[in-house]
Amino acid sequence: MAHGKIRCLLGMLGTDVHSKGIRTLAQLLRDAGVEVIYLGEHNSAEGFVNAIIAEDADVAGLSFSSATYVHYTRGLLEKMRAAGVGDVPVMLGGLIHAEDEPTLREMGVRGIFGPGTDLRQILRFLAEVTGKPLAQGAAHGPG
Amino acid sequence: MSVQLSRTATWSGIETAAAYGPGDAAGLDYARDLGDPGQYPYTRGSYSQMYRSRMWTLRNIVGYGSPEDTREGIDTALAMGSAGINVVLDTLTQEAIDPDHPALWADAGQEGCSLPTVHALEVLLRGIDVTQTDVAWHSTMMIYPMVVALATRQGRDVSKLQGSHMPDHLQLRLGGWGEGIVPAALGHRTTVDCLEYSVKHSPRWALGCPQAYDMRERGLSAAGEIAVGMAIIELTFQDLIARGLHVDQIAPSMAWVSAADIDLFEEVAKFRALRRIWARTMKERFNSQDPRSQRLRVACHTSGRALVYPQPLNNLCRATMQTLAAILGGVQSVETCTYDEPVCIPTEEARELAIRTQQILAHEIGVARTADPLGGSYYIESLTHRVEADALAMKAKIEQIGLVKAIEDGTLESWMDAYNYDIERELDRQQRIKVGINKFVPGKTTPPRRFTFDPARMQSHLQRFKEHKAGRDRAALAPRIDALYRVARRRENSHQAMIDALVADATIGEVWGTVRAANDLPYDPFRTVQSPFTYTSP
Amino acid sequence: MQSPGDAAAEAVLRGDLRAASRLISRIESGDDSVCAALQLLYAKGGAASVIGITGPPGAGKSTLTDQLIARYRAQGLRIAVLAVDPSSVRTGGAILGDRLRMGRHNTDSGVFIRSMAARGQLGGLSAATGDALVVLDALRFDRILVETVGVGQGEIDIVTHADTVIIVQTPLGGDTVQAMKAGLLETGDVWVVNKVDAPAADRTVTALRESLEFRCRGLGPQQWRPPIVKTQAVRGEGIETLWESVEAHRIHLLAHPEERETQRRQRTRVLLIERIAEALRGRYRTVREGNEPFERMLDEVLARHSDPRTAVARWLRQQE
Repeated sequence: MAHGKIRCLLGMLGTDVHSKGIRTLAQLLRDAGVEVIYLGEHNSAEGFVNAIIAEDADVAGLSFSSATYVHYTRGLLEKMRAAGVGDVPVMLGGLIHAEDEPTLREMGVRGIFGPGTDLRQILRFLAEVTGKPLAQGAAHGPG
Repeated sequence: MSVQLSRTATWSGIETAAAYGPGDAAGLDYARDLGDPGQYPYTRGSYSQMYRSRMWTLRNIVGYGSPEDTREGIDTALAMGSAGINVVLDTLTQEAIDPDHPALWADAGQEGCSLPTVHALEVLLRGIDVTQTDVAWHSTMMIYPMVVALATRQGRDVSKLQGSHMPDHLQLRLGGWGEGIVPAALGHRTTVDCLEYSVKHSPRWALGCPQAYDMRERGLSAAGEIAVGMAIIELTFQDLIARGLHVDQIAPSMAWVSAADIDLFEEVAKFRALRRIWARTMKERFNSQDPRSQRLRVACHTSGRALVYPQPLNNLCRATMQTLAAILGGVQSVETCTYDEPVCIPTEEARELAIRTQQILAHEIGVARTADPLGGSYYIESLTHRVEADALAMKAKIEQIGLVKAIEDGTLESWMDAYNYDIERELDRQQRIKVGINKFVPGKTTPPRRFTFDPARMQSHLQRFKEHKAGRDRAALAPRIDALYRVARRRENSHQAMIDALVADATIGEVWGTVRAANDLPYDPFRTVQSPFTYTSP
Repeated sequence: MQSPGDAAAEAVLRGDLRAASRLISRIESGDDSVCAALQLLYAKGGAASVIGITGPPGAGKSTLTDQLIARYRAQGLRIAVLAVDPSSVRTGGAILGDRLRMGRHNTDSGVFIRSMAARGQLGGLSAATGDALVVLDALRFDRILVETVGVGQGEIDIVTHADTVIIVQTPLGGDTVQAMKAGLLETGDVWVVNKVDAPAADRTVTALRESLEFRCRGLGPQQWRPPIVKTQAVRGEGIETLWESVEAHRIHLLAHPEERETQRRQRTRVLLIERIAEALRGRYRTVREGNEPFERMLDEVLARHSDPRTAVARWLRQQE
């Protein structure tokens, strides 16, 4: 297992304002021993990519509440690849419709956590894609 | 299978006794604390006849795609029995950004109607006279100047303008819009400007402020809704009074935009406590003489946050109970969430069911036949008192810091984050049960059908927008924009200047961008588009 | 065949931001193989001015940092930022949200922002900060801003890393100057009172001025007198004056090389002592069960055959 903390970027793209979900997730991930770099709302793909590079993010997480997530995710992944950070795993959360999952996975999205996601699923995903440890007992969820 | 109690506290966390009795309402003085419905302090209702004389307005929220798409939706809702129309605008329009924004164009028409110009508004409202028909706008920025500009262009009497919108900017700021899109200080000043202009020029226009629905969704308890909402109101009224207005010129035009959350009794108690606090504040703090200022009107939307994704049909039950709470709470208009709210924009079927829910409550269940039916209940009076006390305590804490400051420095947002975090922890420990989420989880769940609409009309709307922008009379527009800049720079009420610019075919992005520039902010909050205008200093 | 250390260092010197960022991560995770790269980079460093920004939570440091970045960028200078936030003691995780207030610079290629969690350090600064600064220095940024919470009781301190230290206060803490801990008054080069639109602002400024005048009594005419700058960071008021004061301090140091050298020598002395202490602490943090001499000492102290001080002194002598 690799050492160090999981550094997870969390943010939103476009005009979306519903950040309540990722703000809560940020707190829950912190409780699980993750270092959350919180980018908030209204980021551009370019800004997001720069943050991935400067923060050496292990994972990039995006939350969407509007229907344009396929468009924005495609744009982000393209920019990530162009900037040489296409290898960083991307996970999506929020109102992701099951019908779009195949398209998103084909694009390169590694984790999809739509409505009804359990925190444990996200934690297991983080541990798996980064190979880094969570806080003790975290994989069983907050207590 | 027996049903076990998982929780004895309200959804907001107020503990509940096993039973209540006369002792719990002992300190209550009927005349002082309750009054009859329609009597100060209006705890029991704002009108004596309540729903007998006027049923709550059944509103249905509509909005997607191009103006033509949304118009279709409006006509369908009216045919189904909806009495009032509530139009929601897309995020670009709400953020006063034009749909040709190079980075954000994909969001146009999503989550609401794209309305970047008066011309687009004209298309949406073709055949509708805004001085005769009440259209409610679920939006804050720019929509009021747009409607006034439309009426002006059509030669209608603005003083007869009907309709409503939600001029509360501080709520946006708290709801995830951030300092970048709604700077707290400019936002608050714009709210005050809007109210000042509206009460003077369009006295029939209703002002939905505070917009507490989105604040509840963001993360506030029932008492918290009252606390933050009243803090916004008091600061706003203070500023309007400093501009020479009296509360009785303002308050009668206002309505509190509220949420009905899932805890039936707590929401009823909240509405009652809210009315009492409002009435007393108007009278005692602001020296109101007019009962129309003291009796609060509430426009209610059932909470979308309370609905869940797995087994969405269960949301029909939830939304029904929430609507019941709103009616028992004595609100003046209700929007019932559709059961597919957590998943997508409402389908027609879901919309129809939401309307029927209200109709069944009205005609079969009989909830409307008497005012404040829960009044006098030992529990309800006790809970009303408690919610009131909690609300006033929290409001005092906010005012100690200063409302705008508490927003700017992130204090209020951190309280909201903590509230949400605590709920998550409780859900995880099963101290809070949400059926389908952390207990009674269905084996498999089929996601509801998605709402889709043909993007063709949206494409042509965008095309028309670009053509319109290119073909405008720039000679007529430029001086209006410049005049707006100078008014905004002098920190005067910019509403007339905004309206004049819109009449001259300015886009919302251009108008608000100019106001931003005049306030030393970037023209485009996303820092991509530069202002195409040169401004002269006042 | 080039060693990995050389390769990493060379990538950084070429301006490869990702390589630099990865190196910082390895530094943070205590990977000792970074030494080779650090050696090379440190030798090439010394050009950047390091500006520390500290103060209690809620003082507005991030917003001030954001405004300073904008001011420096207007001059065309390249800016790096290290934003340090505390880690949760219980879980080891952290929410690093400082860069949120600097969001407008995300798309500016002349700005590099790195968030760091203090990971157990009490002094408001991560142990890895110093090494991270070496990397940023080697990337040839003109100014490196280090933002951190409070100068705590811990030993590793922003003072040891920064050429210019800005201490931010707000009037909302009452009349008393916050965190008037011993030594704090000695360290600030520029003092900022933020949120000056708050009612108590004048009292705070006055109290601070009095304290600073007291401190400055013994100063010679050639020595730096820390100014007090009033700001309203959200509205951008006072930023120009802040920028001027910071640059004035930088120029003062350049104009007084002996003062600068003395300062630098003292700082580096403290830094090295702290790093030795930190290394030793690290070595003994997890003494394994079954470590015979340690267990024996533990039993002795529990049985009161030896007091802790004597026992440890004896044990240390045995380690040498």
